[in-house]
Amino acid sequence: MSASHFVRKQFTWNVSWKAAALLVPGLLICGMASATPPPRRQEQHFKVDAHPVVTIHNPNGMITVKAWTKSEVMVISTRASDYVEVDAEQMGNRVDVSTHAAADNVAPDDMRADYQINVPEDAELQIHDDSGEVNVANVLGDMNVETVAAGVDLEDSAGYVTIKTVGGSFQCTRCAGKLEIASISGNLRLTDIHSFHVHAQTSTGNILFSGEFLPNGIYRLKNYSGVIEVRFSPADSFDLSATSLKGKVINEATLTPKSHQQHFYSRFGNSLFGTFNAGRAKVELTSFDGTINILKRD
Amino acid sequence: MATITCKDFLDRLESWMEGDVHSDSQAHLRNCPNCRSLVEDLKAIRSEARTWRAEETEPPAHVWTSLRSRLEQEGLIREIHPAEATKATWFGGWFAALPRPALAGAYLTLLIAGAFALSRPMNRQSNEALWRSASQDSTMPLRAQLIAEQNSFGSFNNANPAVNASLNQNLAIVDNYIALCEKSVQEEPQNEVARDYLYQAYQQKADLLAQMTERGENNR
Repeated sequence: MSASHFVRKQFTWNVSWKAAALLVPGLLICGMASATPPPRRQEQHFKVDAHPVVTIHNPNGMITVKAWTKSEVMVISTRASDYVEVDAEQMGNRVDVSTHAAADNVAPDDMRADYQINVPEDAELQIHDDSGEVNVANVLGDMNVETVAAGVDLEDSAGYVTIKTVGGSFQCTRCAGKLEIASISGNLRLTDIHSFHVHAQTSTGNILFSGEFLPNGIYRLKNYSGVIEVRFSPADSFDLSATSLKGKVINEATLTPKSHQQHFYSRFGNSLFGTFNAGRAKVELTSFDGTINILKRD
Repeated sequence: MATITCKDFLDRLESWMEGDVHSDSQAHLRNCPNCRSLVEDLKAIRSEARTWRAEETEPPAHVWTSLRSRLEQEGLIREIHPAEATKATWFGGWFAALPRPALAGAYLTLLIAGAFALSRPMNRQSNEALWRSASQDSTMPLRAQLIAEQNSFGSFNNANPAVNASLNQNLAIVDNYIALCEKSVQEEPQNEVARDYLYQAYQQKADLLAQMTERGENNR
């Protein structure tokens, strides 16, 4: 073996070992990085234009949505375990947020994800949350919320709001715009309402409405059993029809009887029809077996 | 031009939705907000049904066949004439596109259509006669159909106990609600309020069954 060949071989070995010494830890670090699950708390930001649409699908957990003045959507998600994954992605002016299982047979508690989301106030929201809780504040765009057991709490909305729950309760404070709420056993509590269209229906839950009856507004509250309670002020002006087929109708409003033909419901059950002041709004209260209270607002 | 009644228009609704547009139907639609609203709703439902994902499993054909026959028996929709039987109707065409998880959404559509037809003033006489003439209320076949569908997927068992409990508990509530409404309707067949509540209860049950089917399938 020549001296030059020996030197060249030695050099090659040295280079190979040096490269390996650098490469192996690098690969190990990369491997460890790829095996480490993402942190359970994540914060993501999405730039959006006016009237963005935000959809949230979450089987279990708390969803809190608040409006802010920025033209972006911020999603902070907190996963209960590594068995659940959170996807948040933007498609044009829409941001889709969803939770899904990362493995089979994940325990319910491990499937939980909580969200804190900030959106522009003109955002449109579509929220599905089977169990947990949904809280939305100051969002003025349209929204659709569907839950099974999760309660829904809405504050200061102004758009076309549709809420559907199976057993979850619904509470709405200082809501304007148009409200359509349907539930089977959830209680519906509507306070300080400034809406021209309210249609609230629950089978066995109670319904409370305390708010303004706007001129030309339509307010339809209907349940099967439970209590429907409407609170009016002396300045309100509405045309009232209240019918409970098997329950009571308790009224504190001084009504002027209607001169025209009465609603066909008047033939059945306990009914009350009349006009309060000029009768500018239309109020329809219907129950099968429940009590209807028309009470003065404090 | 002689205008037709709402009942005439509803009789022609199926062919209307297939594009068979008569001038008298058009004239009626222009003047009748109720029928116009119904047509708009049906178009919206059809449009929505078409957007549902094609990869989802279609509902079993027997469900729609059976439902259709039930609704025909109740006079809510008309029978198919032999000449029409060979072509796909709008009714069948829509529901063929429905995914299984939306099963009771379609039930809901049918029931809403039924409730709409029965609650309209023009039908009040004929429906009262229907309810009076039957030894039992005229929704019995629909109820049987819903029970059959409920039995077909067995007991519902979602992984999430809160969802599981809520859906089962509310199904029991709605079943009880249906039983009480049926009793009232049988006692007073002319009672519009009780009939409205009964249809609403069926709608709720259909909706619940859809949710249970969907969540049951997602859970598998």
